[in-house]
Amino acid sequence: MASSAMELSLLNPAAMRGLSAAKPRVVSSRRIVRFRVASSAAAPPAAKPGTPKKRGKTEIQETLLTPRFYTTDFDEMERLFNAEINKQLNQEEFDALLQEFKTDYNQTHFVRNPEFKAAADKMEGPLRQIFVEFLERSCTAEFSGFLLYKELGRRLKKTNPVVAEIFSLMSRDEARHAGFLNKGLSDFNLALDLGFLTKARKYTFFKPQVHLLRDLPVGEDWVLEDENRHGDFFSALLKAQPQFLNDWKAKLWSRFFCLSVYVTMYLNDCQRTTFYEGIGLDTKEFDMHVIIETNRTTARIFPAVLDVENPEFKRKLDRMVEINKKIIAIGESDDIPLVKNLKRIPHVAALVSEIIAAYLMPPIESGSVDFAEFEPQLVY
Amino acid sequence: MVAPATLSLRPFATLAPSRAALPRVGAGFALPPAVSCQPRRRRLSLRAVAVDSDQQGSPEPPDQEAKPKKYHFLVANAKFMLDEEEHFQEQLKEKLRLYGEREKEQDFWLVVEPKFLDRFPNITKRLKRPAVALVSTDGNWITFMKLRLDRVLAEQFEAETLEEALASNPVDLKFDKPEKWTAPYPKYEYGWWEPFLPPKSSNGTA
Repeated sequence: MASSAMELSLLNPAAMRGLSAAKPRVVSSRRIVRFRVASSAAAPPAAKPGTPKKRGKTEIQETLLTPRFYTTDFDEMERLFNAEINKQLNQEEFDALLQEFKTDYNQTHFVRNPEFKAAADKMEGPLRQIFVEFLERSCTAEFSGFLLYKELGRRLKKTNPVVAEIFSLMSRDEARHAGFLNKGLSDFNLALDLGFLTKARKYTFFKPQVHLLRDLPVGEDWVLEDENRHGDFFSALLKAQPQFLNDWKAKLWSRFFCLSVYVTMYLNDCQRTTFYEGIGLDTKEFDMHVIIETNRTTARIFPAVLDVENPEFKRKLDRMVEINKKIIAIGESDDIPLVKNLKRIPHVAALVSEIIAAYLMPPIESGSVDFAEFEPQLVY
Repeated sequence: MVAPATLSLRPFATLAPSRAALPRVGAGFALPPAVSCQPRRRRLSLRAVAVDSDQQGSPEPPDQEAKPKKYHFLVANAKFMLDEEEHFQEQLKEKLRLYGEREKEQDFWLVVEPKFLDRFPNITKRLKRPAVALVSTDGNWITFMKLRLDRVLAEQFEAETLEEALASNPVDLKFDKPEKWTAPYPKYEYGWWEPFLPPKSSNGTA
């Protein structure tokens, strides 16, 4: 995977007009942002003796809310998408999806115009810093998706060529997004060293069924049509695995995934209200809009979803924000670590109890109409 | 030893391929049927093909009617299709833009209260009215849209003409405006679907 950053520029180069390939660049006027992770599987390459250290590299703190690089059990993925083993794969749906991915509606959309640079130059102070962080997080997440999908596309070639090709085309999309975002960072005289990221970043392992659930169109890129199509693909994959959808465990998992995504997003964004207010949005209102729309989409595949339109759900989220602020304030205080940890305990307990209370709110029965057990409740 | 040559009976129509059917080489130059780019094979393997008399090809009379065309559709209530579904308008707009760029003829339409629904009592009894159908000759795309929209009913039918396929009953569409709109973009304008309606002549009211 070391050459993955280079591959970014090779994926459909004609489609990447106006888009710098997201390969690592070292330009004197730029600082290259590297993610250094102490517990990474592969340690960052040590500087050769006698070579001066490159200046201005910024270390980005790894936190619970930082985008991660994901990997999975590829052998199990091969079993899941083997048409001979899994008779429920709806080949018609996958053929239709493949045609849609091949159409590549957004081929000419990722073209930057001079307004990008002008807008970046206007940004100053905290807003600039927050926007840079936003681009860094998004670029990392997209690049992580590119690596995972590329590998799945390669591994599934023999097992299921159609699914493999879809994964490859999704990696094309993610590469394009990462490249575009990295080019956006260049407007701020920054660039992510994606080659370094590939080798040095810690990979978080997820079981395939967990991947399928968490790759539905939720999170920051919910509004992109590319991401929506990725969501459609994962819906089709999940529908082909009803064992992940039709029992009580699946209902509990579904609610857990929804809640973890919504809470993470809400808490994250409420720490960055400056950014949202800077672009003229009410953070909480906007987040609730995203959560409600995402929940409606998710309800088309998950067997149960949270009742996010219940006003009590938002009240719980707002209480979590207040508790989280207190936890952050304790972390920023001058107390010794032991005292900080002791002070945090009641707040962490309060946060956990709010999360559990939100989880235990009566859910909404849902799922695809193709499973149709609940069809009488539907109005077409 | 050379294999005995045997007669292959084929429909008459296939003996003279049309110019369009011939492989094109270079700028509009067509190879004559006798010329083959394949290397010659030593062994001749010819098969006799038995053909029923009713399969014998005869040139079609010019006035013979064209075969009915297959139309695929998704249908749901108008409120869901035109007012609630967040990305539907974007998708249709995007597809129309792409067709324009690639000089492809439009093969999908929105039909408000389509007349063809009368053929599907199983669907109409489950449908809230007024209804809107997304109709296309591209079955693959309709399969994809079914996956995307999910809360829709899918079927297909045949029609002789586009007018017949897309005929509709006149109806007034009214949607309540949301009390509070929190999205950072405006709600779609009422009537956004008009560019996707069938040509005027195919409207049942015309």
